[in-house]
Amino acid sequence: MKPKDMNKADFFTSIFLFLLGLIVFIISIRMPTFRELGANPYSAPGIVPGILGVTLLFMSAILFIRSVIRKGYKIRLSSQGLKLFFKNNSIKRFLIALFLSVFYVILLGKINYFLLTTIYIFLFVWSFELKTKKTLFFALLEAVLIAVCISYVFRYLFLVTLP
Amino acid sequence: MFEGLIQLGQELSKFLTPRFLFDVLWSTQLGIIVGMLPGLTATMGVALMTTLTYKFASSHAVLILICMYIGAIYGGSRTAILINIPGTPANAATTVDGNPLAKQGKAGQAMGIATTGSFLGSIFGMVMLAIFTPIIGNAALSFYSFEYFWLAIFGIVICGSLTAPKDPLKGWISGFLGLFIATIGMEAMHAYRRFSFGNVNLAGGIQLLPAMIGVFGFSEILMVMKQPAVRIVSNKIERVIPSLKDILKYWKTIIRSGFIGTIIGAIPGVGEDIAAWVSYDFAKKASKEKEKFGHGSIEGLIAAETGNNAAIPGAIIPVLALAVPGSAPAAVLLGAMLIHGIRPGPLLMIENPTFIYQVVAMLFLATCAMFILGLSFIRVFVKILIIPREKLMPVVFALCVIGSYALSAKMFDILVMTVFGLIGYAMKEMDYPVAPLVLGIILGDLLDSNLRRSLILTDGNILPFFTRPISLVFFLFISITILSQMKWFKNLLKTLQLSIKKVFLKRKMI
Repeated sequence: MKPKDMNKADFFTSIFLFLLGLIVFIISIRMPTFRELGANPYSAPGIVPGILGVTLLFMSAILFIRSVIRKGYKIRLSSQGLKLFFKNNSIKRFLIALFLSVFYVILLGKINYFLLTTIYIFLFVWSFELKTKKTLFFALLEAVLIAVCISYVFRYLFLVTLP
Repeated sequence: MFEGLIQLGQELSKFLTPRFLFDVLWSTQLGIIVGMLPGLTATMGVALMTTLTYKFASSHAVLILICMYIGAIYGGSRTAILINIPGTPANAATTVDGNPLAKQGKAGQAMGIATTGSFLGSIFGMVMLAIFTPIIGNAALSFYSFEYFWLAIFGIVICGSLTAPKDPLKGWISGFLGLFIATIGMEAMHAYRRFSFGNVNLAGGIQLLPAMIGVFGFSEILMVMKQPAVRIVSNKIERVIPSLKDILKYWKTIIRSGFIGTIIGAIPGVGEDIAAWVSYDFAKKASKEKEKFGHGSIEGLIAAETGNNAAIPGAIIPVLALAVPGSAPAAVLLGAMLIHGIRPGPLLMIENPTFIYQVVAMLFLATCAMFILGLSFIRVFVKILIIPREKLMPVVFALCVIGSYALSAKMFDILVMTVFGLIGYAMKEMDYPVAPLVLGIILGDLLDSNLRRSLILTDGNILPFFTRPISLVFFLFISITILSQMKWFKNLLKTLQLSIKKVFLKRKMI
């Protein structure tokens, strides 16, 4: 990431971390102390997360001030910039890998493991390769072989239950 | 001393059976392959292997994991030399001189030197582990809750500073986020469910292994797929076995790098990559052939590889003595030991006194296997680098899924892996180191229980945190580490230095 973009990213993350720290702190002070049960007040479950919340607040405030000094708040969003972003090959590759993997996770347990793994591997290999009949066939063959290997090796050799 | 050697011999003999030796060979070779493949790290390899070996006997599983660890850290040197991409982050320093040597047509020699350096580094670290673990463990017996609290903070602060040298604040944020994540779920004192929002799975807490597989595995898959494809440069590999002259010429560098590597490895959460860079830097400063560094220096290559492999036993020292990991793969190893009912920490020497010798024997076997495998079948295994990433990465993700699921057969763990993968990816993109996050998750419980226990003991008085001798030392170390990252403190030190010099000069004049 370029330093300019990093400052913008720091600006946003500092706000996110500040809010997180604040929420953690508020939830922590609302946690019970169990005094009514005779417990020592210093054994309260909210003490440590409360301190951590304050620490996060403090550090995110430093990050925020630093990003503001470096003008990280100057965010210029344009439709052309967004178009260029999505046209970028790296972003395309990243998004394909991300969506395929996330869908694989979502569908796990709902579809037969072997079938789902075969489809996932096939789509992954196929999306990044040149789409000819030959590559299509080989991608499918690889997907089936790998899914068979994973399913059997883990189930029978490592005695692992499959999702 | 002799008693220790006899004990070590006894433990070693237990592993000299065909079954164990076979396991040592395949797991080390698998480790080398994992290390060789960019995108597969030692941490990911050890984490996946942990879930697959959890039904094995404890010593058997730990042996396989140590072999995987040593093999992977070494394996990355091959990619670093041949294609100028470190197979694992630990081999980044190896690329500086390893790849220029390969370009000069000396790829075989470079790999031989890297193998020997890694072997000597591991052996050096192993000896240090055998000597220092009982000493540190005994010293840690005098630790009370106050000291354990500071130890956890010390780990986070030092790990944050060293893994994010350009911006330590991000390292510390990462570490404290990890500490917070560790507080999710049922706490030990009152069985109160923190931050679970009525969710049964969250009440059980975030498990270390799925989180680690996500942070180091899934995030790495996304990073690798984002980058353009790498073209493998074909290299002729000639003689691999290094000449004794080359090794003996740099004996001082080997000892220095072994020592530095072990010490850096033993610092909580810091790891092999920094050990390699520091060893390389020291070797460059002390070298008579400084001009060769960066252009194919054998000394530089030896320093980097000795340093990163010496850091492995170094990282295991605090695991055994304090139950605090020295690196990310060592963190998984610690988790694996706990899964198998081994309780590392100061009481280990009392509860399970032979275990340290067992670990030394395992390290020795793994190192020997790495040396033998490292010098043989090179031409065959280098062909693995030809596998395109689009074929490899979906398989790796399928393994990440099974690895996360295998331990407790919960779909929630797969979700944790995925979410942590996305968090890890975002963190890497924004220059937040992920090692402190993982260390935070591990040390969270130590910090939580010991801080509350200390406060109960002192009835809320925080003075003992600063007045007890060991606590005070920890506090000063932490303060200096934080202050040394601040500009005004650096300027203050410079001004002080200058004024002291002026005073001395004036006195001399008088």
